[in-house]
This record gives sequence, C-alpha cells and structure tokens, in this order.
Amino acid sequence: MSGVSVRIRSIRPVSLALLLVSATYLGLLSGFPDGYGPVLAAAAVIFATGLRVGTRRKVAVYAPVPVLAALAVEVVPAPVGLGTELVAGLAGLAFLLWLADDPSRPVGGSLRSLPTVGVPALAVGIAWSSTLFLPAGAVPLGVAGALLALTLAVVALLVASPTMFDREEA
Amino acid sequence: MSGLPSRPLQWRPLAPFLLATGAALSLVAVITRNPTPLFLALPLLLAPVAAGIVGPRRSPPVRIDLAIEGAAADVQVRGAVVPEPGLDARDLVVELERPASLVGESVPRFDYSSSQIRFRANWTAPEPTITEIPVPEVLWRDPMGIVEREAISSTSPVVVSRYPPELLRIGAVRLERTTPLPGETRSRRVGESGEFHGIRPARPEDPPRQINWRATARTGRPLANEYDLDKTGDLLILLDARPTPLGPALDERLFSVARAAAVGLSDSFLRVKSRVGVGVFGEFLDVVPLSTGRTQRIRIETALKQAHLSPVSAPAERCAVSARRHFPPGLTTVVFSSLSDDSSEDLSPYLRRRGFPAVVLSPSPLPLIAAASRLTGEDEELARRIARLVRRDRIARAWQEAPTIDWDDFWSLGKFVEFVRRPRIRRA
Repeated sequence: MSGVSVRIRSIRPVSLALLLVSATYLGLLSGFPDGYGPVLAAAAVIFATGLRVGTRRKVAVYAPVPVLAALAVEVVPAPVGLGTELVAGLAGLAFLLWLADDPSRPVGGSLRSLPTVGVPALAVGIAWSSTLFLPAGAVPLGVAGALLALTLAVVALLVASPTMFDREEA
Repeated sequence: MSGLPSRPLQWRPLAPFLLATGAALSLVAVITRNPTPLFLALPLLLAPVAAGIVGPRRSPPVRIDLAIEGAAADVQVRGAVVPEPGLDARDLVVELERPASLVGESVPRFDYSSSQIRFRANWTAPEPTITEIPVPEVLWRDPMGIVEREAISSTSPVVVSRYPPELLRIGAVRLERTTPLPGETRSRRVGESGEFHGIRPARPEDPPRQINWRATARTGRPLANEYDLDKTGDLLILLDARPTPLGPALDERLFSVARAAAVGLSDSFLRVKSRVGVGVFGEFLDVVPLSTGRTQRIRIETALKQAHLSPVSAPAERCAVSARRHFPPGLTTVVFSSLSDDSSEDLSPYLRRRGFPAVVLSPSPLPLIAAASRLTGEDEELARRIARLVRRDRIARAWQEAPTIDWDDFWSLGKFVEFVRRPRIRRA
C-alpha cells in the first residue's frame, strides 16, 4: 500500500463530516458577503485535512489554524438568532472532535475525547437554553457578562499554574 | 513506582491558541453586542480546562519492557509500554531516541491497543559500538493534543554491544599466567572441571557425566556436580584515549570501535574464568583492576561505556608507570591504539620495558577517511595509495616493538584471533 493511500485512509470521516457540515451551515447562516461563507468554510476544512494527512509533521501541527480562522471570520458578522448561536456552538464542538481525530494518533480519538468535549458541550447547552428561556434585558446581560469575566479569570489562573490540576496520592 | 516524583501537567502550543481565539471572540461579542461569537468561544475556552480535569491527576505509572535483539551490525529494539489499569494506552505517546552511533529509521513502528503499546525499531551499527539505548519517553496526551503529562517508570536504559563475531571464540586462547603454578589459585567461579565444589540442581545443558546419578536417585530430582575452576590466565586491555592529528570526530569514531572490541574481548575471556583488567589512558590511566566474574563484566562494560577521549595528550611513559602500579608484570596486554602519530607508537615500547608483553590492535582510520573523502577518480586513488603507504610504514615501525595488527575491516578480527591462537608466532 502506498504512503499516499495510507494517509488518505487515516482520515476519520465522522468527525470530518460533522465539522464540514456545521462549518458550512454556519457559513450559510453567517451572511458572509456574496454567499462565499460555505465555500470559505469548506475550503478551510479541506485544506486543514490536507495539511494533517500530509507528509510533513511540522506543517500538520498548524492544521487547526485555517479552520478556526474560517469559523471566526464567519461567526463575527453572523446575525443574532437562536439557530445561528446553536450552529456556532455545535461548530465549536465539532472542531474539538475533529482535533481529537488526529491521523497521526491511534484511531478512536473522538470517542476517547467525549468526556472532555462533554464539559464545553454542557456549557454550550446551558448558554443556549438560557438565551431561549431567559427574558432579554440589561440585568441578565450584566449577569452573563460577570459570569464570562469570572470564567476568563479562572481559565487564566489555571493556565498560569497547571499544577493546580495535580492531585497528591492518598 | 509510587515513590517516583510526579511530573506537572504541561500545556501544549494548541492550548494558548484555543484560549487566545476564545478570548478574542468573547471580546468581539461584547463589543458588537452579538452573542453568536460567544457560542463559538465557549468550547474553545473550556476545552483546555476540561482536558486538564479529565486527564490523570498525577504522572501515570507505566511499565516499559525494552529488549535488544539481532547480531553483529543488526540492532533490533523491541518493547512494550503497559500503563496501569484504567488508563487507555492509546492516549500515551512514546518517543524513542536513536543513539547517534546507530543508523536507520528515526521513527519506530508502533502497534497500539487499549492495554499496551508495542514498538519495534530496526537500526544498524555501521561500526562496532557500545552504546546505551535510552528508556523511551512516555507522555500521556489528551486525544485533542491540548495537555500532556510525563509518565513515570523505573526502567533502566539498555546497553548494546556490537563487536566482531570472532571475539566470541577468542576466549579459548591460553593466556600467559601471572600466578606461580597453574591450578594453585582457584577461580571464584565454578564450572565443569577441577576440584569438586558441591551439588546443585541439574540444568538441561548439563552433560550426562556431570550429573550426580547417586544423589539424583536419592533425592528423586536431577542433581549435578559442580567444580572449582582453575584460573586460566590474566589479560590486560589498554585503550589509548589520547587525541591524535586525525581530529576529534575521527578519533571519537576510532575510540568507539576500540571500546566495542574491548568489551567483546573482555566478555570472551571472562566467560572462561580468566581475570581481566582494563586501562583507559588519556591524560592519566583510569583502571578497572584485575578480576573475574559477572560483576567484573558489568564493571568493565560500565567503565568502557563511560570512557571518553582525553582533550590533552600525555607521555606514554606515564601510562606504563601507572600500569605497573596497578597490574602485575607479565600480563598479556592488548593495546588498542590507532597509531596515527608518533606519540601513539611509543606506548608499546614503554609497556614492554615495564614488563607487559603487549599486542597492539590498531583500528585503521583509512576506511573512515575514504568514506568521507571528497576526491574522485584518479585523485582519490592516488590519495588512497599514499595513505596506505604511510599506514603500512607506521605498522612496520610499530612491529619492531610489539606484534601489531592492522584492523581495517571493523566487522572482522580474524587476523587478530589467528595471531593470538598461534603461540609459536607469538613467542617469535
């Protein structure tokens, strides 16, 4: 079996399809000029997949960059709407699953990453349901802003000292 | 393994990238008063934290089995990494570093399962070598590649010794004795002949005449006799580790070849219960005193593994004086020297004057120089002929002081083995 066919076979179709569909749909909803949103999203995902299955490992580590850039470019001009927000959240989760399906690592990465992806999925679910059920107004916006600031502070604290994750043996 | 210190969690480059993108999207959401970017930002911000929480909270202990197979130039590394129950082996990343003295595939082949990772690497030793295969570095890495943590294991590195196969048979050579009468000094080892020592459980390789049939009949299980061995002779291996005009790179390669051959030589003689001592002469003489047995083998192997070229040269007489202080005169002495300059030729006369009958085994620099030569055609041929003539002249001059073997095919020591097996020529 040639090297190219081995690398092509290492592509994990499920997570790739999830990312492709969610990113393309986000591009469709985003209102990107001249309807280029889906094209941009699909091109970025395919390009990133090509980088990952390429021969050079040093280049492969940059594969997440085009996907994330495309998602960010699409989500910024996206109109406010429950559907758009849900698709944006799902695209973020699909991106994480796609990351876990690294062709250079053993198969089943997306399945093994489900406990990790479950945490942000829960957060996206709570955020989306709160936008669905809570009334709009200045107070909920303030509460949401404060929670976001708190989350960022906690994340910054954890990133600054990874040893906080350590647990001493009993 | 629980006593080993735990390693901290490490963020991989993807983590700050995700967090920075998530923070930027959050900022855009606040500025534009549009919550949609926030929904994309949430997974990016929370994934690194979740990866840190979900993963092992201390360095996961792993068992690493490492084995070396193959013979001569072929070095096959086989191994397995087995994590503790509860940790999926597919989340581990194994990095095996190839020693500089070996060539071949830089990335080993891995075979993953949920309980263990098997790996194999096929390397080649271009020259005889003694080198250490380091323990593979094992990391736990989350499937997304955001965080990682080094695993801990108590495995030790494995030493690879590759030397010419002829050395395996050289131990049969009768060495000059340094003890007054043969048989007076008993070896610390036991074997198949000599004075009766005791009875032990029989092994499959024991010959029928070594089985103690009466004791076997009495106890109902096979028992064999063991005997105290007589010492057969003593050997001193001396390595010249002084710098030469060839330069550090070539010197290092030749010294590496000499170290490997010295390991083979000592192994072979220690197997037949001879006493073997080793000296490495750089600026001063570092010695492993005469002894025998498995411990001595490990001592010599460790000393030779750690031996290195001296940056400073020293007079040959210093080596002879030091050798006389550490070893009895009359020892059969094998000197490894490249004979690349006049000072390296001085070693054997001084040793001879101090009472050490030396045989010089000289690894030739010519094959290494020829391989690195940039000349082509007639120029190359001319340079090769001149180098051969110079080398032959050096060997001839060295022969005047001690028997000297020019070792130009590093994977064969046939000439040397043949020489030491013929006592008539040795005496001449």
